[in-house]
Amino acid sequence: MKISPPKPTVSHPLYTGGELVLRGIPASPGISIGRVHLLVPETPVVQPRKIAPGEVPGELVKFEQALTATAAAIERSKDRALSVAGIAAAKIFDAHLLILDDVVFQDDVRARVTREQFCVDYIVNDVLGHAIDVMDKTEGELFRERAADIRDVRNRLLRFISGKGDVMPEAPAEPVVLVAHDLSPTDTLHLDRHLIEAIAADTGGLTSHTAILARSLDIPAVVGVTDLSWRVKAGDQIVLNGNSGKVIVHPSESTLEEYRAKQQRYRAFVSSLENLKDLPAQTADGHEVQLWGNIELPYEAESVLGHGGTGVGLFRSEFMFLTRETVPTENEQFDTYDRAAEILAPRPLVIRTFDLGGDKLHGSINLKEEKNPFLGYRAIRVSLTRRDLFRAQLRAILRASSRGNVRIMFPFISGLEELREAKAVVAEASAELDRLRIPHDPQLKIGIMVEIPSAVVIADHLAEESDFFSIGTNDLTQYTVAADRGNDMVSNYYRSFHPAVLRLIQQTIRAGHKAKIPVAICGEFGANPVAAPLLLGLGIDEISTNATAIPEIKKTIRTLSMADCRKIATRALRMKTAAEIQTYLSGELKSRLADLPIWFT
Amino acid sequence: MIQKEVTLLNRLGLHVRPAAQFTKIAGRYKSDVFLVRDGMRVNAKSIMGVMMLAAGKGSKLIIECIGEDEAPLLNELVQLVENKFHED
Repeated sequence: MKISPPKPTVSHPLYTGGELVLRGIPASPGISIGRVHLLVPETPVVQPRKIAPGEVPGELVKFEQALTATAAAIERSKDRALSVAGIAAAKIFDAHLLILDDVVFQDDVRARVTREQFCVDYIVNDVLGHAIDVMDKTEGELFRERAADIRDVRNRLLRFISGKGDVMPEAPAEPVVLVAHDLSPTDTLHLDRHLIEAIAADTGGLTSHTAILARSLDIPAVVGVTDLSWRVKAGDQIVLNGNSGKVIVHPSESTLEEYRAKQQRYRAFVSSLENLKDLPAQTADGHEVQLWGNIELPYEAESVLGHGGTGVGLFRSEFMFLTRETVPTENEQFDTYDRAAEILAPRPLVIRTFDLGGDKLHGSINLKEEKNPFLGYRAIRVSLTRRDLFRAQLRAILRASSRGNVRIMFPFISGLEELREAKAVVAEASAELDRLRIPHDPQLKIGIMVEIPSAVVIADHLAEESDFFSIGTNDLTQYTVAADRGNDMVSNYYRSFHPAVLRLIQQTIRAGHKAKIPVAICGEFGANPVAAPLLLGLGIDEISTNATAIPEIKKTIRTLSMADCRKIATRALRMKTAAEIQTYLSGELKSRLADLPIWFT
Repeated sequence: MIQKEVTLLNRLGLHVRPAAQFTKIAGRYKSDVFLVRDGMRVNAKSIMGVMMLAAGKGSKLIIECIGEDEAPLLNELVQLVENKFHED
């Protein structure tokens, strides 16, 4: 194997002697101080060796065997990814299998070996090298990352053809900060967590493979540090802050001291979170809220419990529809809900009926192009016109409710009409199951997402006919300030701390409590520690968020007192702009909880 | 040979998953099928070929089908593009 690193974008002096502070994208939290281990990209050098006609069949057999071995190796990586890093990481290897299985590529290799009579590794390298070159030059980042995938598959395949097998890059002997131009998913996944303190890469964004895998493996990482691998050499001292995105090469003594202290605080913070796992999300003065997780797949319920959550406040059932081309059957849905309910029992599982439409389209439901999809045919509106699908889903949910911990939640309720209509369909489905003597929970609770301003305005009426509310802050913000949350042009108008949004949250909680029903929050706002004192002060009963955000929110809640939270909320609600509110809340939180990672900049 | 021009409407363009759907359908038919974009012509039965087009949202592509079952093949592929690959 020859070493040929990619060219830097501009030329840099390698080392000027002083401290060099670089900024990248904080991809995985944590602070690390160590020596650079430079991972040089592996570019296999394959000689164009001519073969005799008699050698062709042997080369072809070698190819077939390498294909089989590589497929098996990718499958193993996928299993490992699934167990150590989750489904998003595993999907990367699904793409690798698709690349390996490309029939045109395979046929091309076989035909060229036969016709041109070169060794098979040369032909494989030539065919895939061409694809990599083309995709490296494309504009979209998404497609450039596919070049990295093809490179990874090629390197593995060539290793098997050469008989080396699935050899991973040489592991360093002592803990180091790994610096690379780019890391392949295979490289990242096989890193030894005990030797790799942190990762820094020249390329990549928050959704790059390196970032996804580093987060799942709990390795601090900064990506997108332009030309970093060209500015350092092996053995250089380096400081990496995965919380802020800062990378400091050749740190001065004072910088080192500063970061050693930060690192210590951060480690103490993380281990303090670990101790919180089995403690309630309770304020210092004894007020308890429930911390729940948002999930898309049943097994993620385990992660929620593992992070100290006490239930699932949002099961996004549309995920099952979006990952396939046909709609899932009642039985398939039942299996899925039942598995999640079983993992959680007796803790609650709130299943949101499918929220399709908007930006989540499903071909087989024949959703047409709409001028304003976010103001269009989505969520409960689809359910009520596609009664066949809705009834099948409700029956599946009802069947899964026999343990008594399943709840139904309707998304996108704008008025009483659709709530009543939807509840009538539940009643019909329940009567059907009764007739068939299929067990289900007769007391099953039915709640709604409050995410449309009209629902807030009539929250008093809705509360009389709902068993619970869950405020969807992402949509509520988008509809309140009329700013599409996916549109960069108006992102500065999308402000969750907008006083109008906060008043709507307050109004919803008041209406819920007046009717004696619990009010939850299940948007990203709930995962923001800065918002926690405010939400608590307003009287929120449950916060449902990503499993990984639970420990941090719990820590925040346990640091606060309810009396303080009420004061903070009252004061914030009097302020007139989002910026003012956000600055105030950040200040309040920082004064109480100086070691939250968000302050480690 | 028959052909038709289509515009990609799905948000991420012909990235892995849509490209896989495309090649899966193409692979089921006997006819040859090619995709042409800005003068680049690739075999649509190859996922790498399809991804090499780096066709993002809004790209215009010509689908060319050649062979005995070219008509239903073209029809199915056009439908797939028009249905935004059942995603987004």
